[in-house]
Amino acid sequence: MEWFDHWSIERRVLVGFGLVFAGIVVISAISYRNTTILIENSQLDTKSHELVQLLGSVEETLGTAESSHRRYLVTGDESYLTSYRTVVERMPEYLRYLKGLTNEGGQQQDRVAKFEQLITRQLDAEARAITQRKKHGYEGVRHLALSGAGKNEIDDIRRLMTELDTVEQRALQARVAQSAGSTQNTIALLGLGAFLQLVLLASVYVLIHHDVTERRRVAKELRSRGELLQAANKELEAFSYSVSHDLRAPLRHIDGYAALLSKAAGDTLNDKARRYLETISGSAKQMGQLIDDLLVFSRMGRQDMLHTTVSLDQLIKTVLHDLRLDLQGRAISWTMHPLPNVSGDPAMLRQVFVNLISNALKFTATRPEAKIEIGIAKQGPTDVEVFVRDNGVGFDMQYVDKLFGVFQRLHRNDEFEGTGIGLANVRRIIHRHGGRTWAEGALDQGATFYFSLPLARSLS
Amino acid sequence: MTTVKPILLAEDNPRDAELAMAAMEEHHIADKVVVCRDGAEVLDYLYCRGTFSSRQQGNPAVVFLDLKMPKVDGLEVLKTIKSDVNLKPIPVVMLTSSREECDLSQSYALGANAYVVKPVEFHQFITAVKELGVFWGVINEPPPEGSDQRGRVPASV
Repeated sequence: MEWFDHWSIERRVLVGFGLVFAGIVVISAISYRNTTILIENSQLDTKSHELVQLLGSVEETLGTAESSHRRYLVTGDESYLTSYRTVVERMPEYLRYLKGLTNEGGQQQDRVAKFEQLITRQLDAEARAITQRKKHGYEGVRHLALSGAGKNEIDDIRRLMTELDTVEQRALQARVAQSAGSTQNTIALLGLGAFLQLVLLASVYVLIHHDVTERRRVAKELRSRGELLQAANKELEAFSYSVSHDLRAPLRHIDGYAALLSKAAGDTLNDKARRYLETISGSAKQMGQLIDDLLVFSRMGRQDMLHTTVSLDQLIKTVLHDLRLDLQGRAISWTMHPLPNVSGDPAMLRQVFVNLISNALKFTATRPEAKIEIGIAKQGPTDVEVFVRDNGVGFDMQYVDKLFGVFQRLHRNDEFEGTGIGLANVRRIIHRHGGRTWAEGALDQGATFYFSLPLARSLS
Repeated sequence: MTTVKPILLAEDNPRDAELAMAAMEEHHIADKVVVCRDGAEVLDYLYCRGTFSSRQQGNPAVVFLDLKMPKVDGLEVLKTIKSDVNLKPIPVVMLTSSREECDLSQSYALGANAYVVKPVEFHQFITAVKELGVFWGVINEPPPEGSDQRGRVPASV
């Protein structure tokens, strides 16, 4: 039954209905054949009854003819002759009927032919005797008068008639038996068919029921998982809410009281003590920055996303405008290749370029002239791969897997400042757009950051 | 200005309150500040009841409202103020650590006049509180006392 388990519900139902249909067709065909036999038999029965009846009439006619011709032979009374002729006239019609009631080429027809022959001979004999009586008077037919003409024929005719009758009755009985059998057969078949259909319909029902139950179960599970997910999301939201609200307050206090202390104690503090206070403030600020970045990162994952057409060229222009303070006093050679329109959330994609360009600026700060290039690495029919390249300090490729992780940093804080959230955010945003991120670089030889995005669907 | 209207600061955290007061002191407006420790106290002050039953009548120049407070939270206080005809003209500035979108939109929907996120950095915080105090407590012309009467709807309607 393994193959059966692989079948889809549609296929199972189709096969089930196919079987039911085939069953109905077969049963209908057999029932039709049986009914045809019944009708044929009943037609044959009518014929047989008619034949038996006709034989009776023939017998009666023959008897009448025989007795009336004999009376004529004895009495010479013309009235007997008239009644003789009246009955004899009916005979050819009876015989024609008789032939019509028997099957073409059957044994009964042979008997009827012989029967006709004998009757004709008998009638001929009677006709001859009558002629003789007319010509020669009573004396001419004395030897015939008492027994009548054609005595042998009469006996043969009687025998043949009995035979005809018996055979016909036997055939009738056989047909009755056949009809009864066929009727029983049909009833049994119809019963079987009904049972079969019931079984098949029941199994189809079971299949459908099973499938529907399964679907309901899956839907229920999906719903409960959705609810779990929603609950988890709510919890996460509550968590980040309290992070944003409660975790900030003590930091504010640390920095605030450090500032108040430095102001209150002011002149009495030596350089060392003042440096300690500055460190306290600096650490508090740094942690505040970390919390803010982490919140942005968490919000990036939860926020609803827009799906609009975004012009990357335009986006980069606004990003560079926003970063203009960072660009002051820097010698930078920009190489900007034209970029296509993509599909996505403008605010999120802006964040991607802010992070990548800020990184490029940060890590080229030690170069006399920073070189930053933005362009297309590859363009497919549905997506585009964009790169941001710099000639900065680069990184060792063995740490490439750590680049996009949260709080992962490849530089000490006294080399380059940062919280280690920027590239994690880039990855999260690109992933939400259905793209991917990767990087290439070498120590002291610059770095290239790649990401793919779905292209905006143009109308042409 | 005949009477100096007080600045009402609703802040449950005593350190935050102290830091805010330090900021106000720098601009010599600290003596105008009344500090309430929770939402219920703010409402007591505004309705002159409880510990404030004997205070001088009149609405404060501005209410600085923290969102998360014990007993009655900031949004509830805001809702009460903005649905009371007498209190409605008081400017309410939400002063909070939360940058969450829902807090922002809810506050503005309930009729907050401004929303300020407390900066972590003390100097920024001090500047913010100072500027807020000076703007709302000194520069901004508060609604005249009794202006609330104009907003009243005749009872027969």
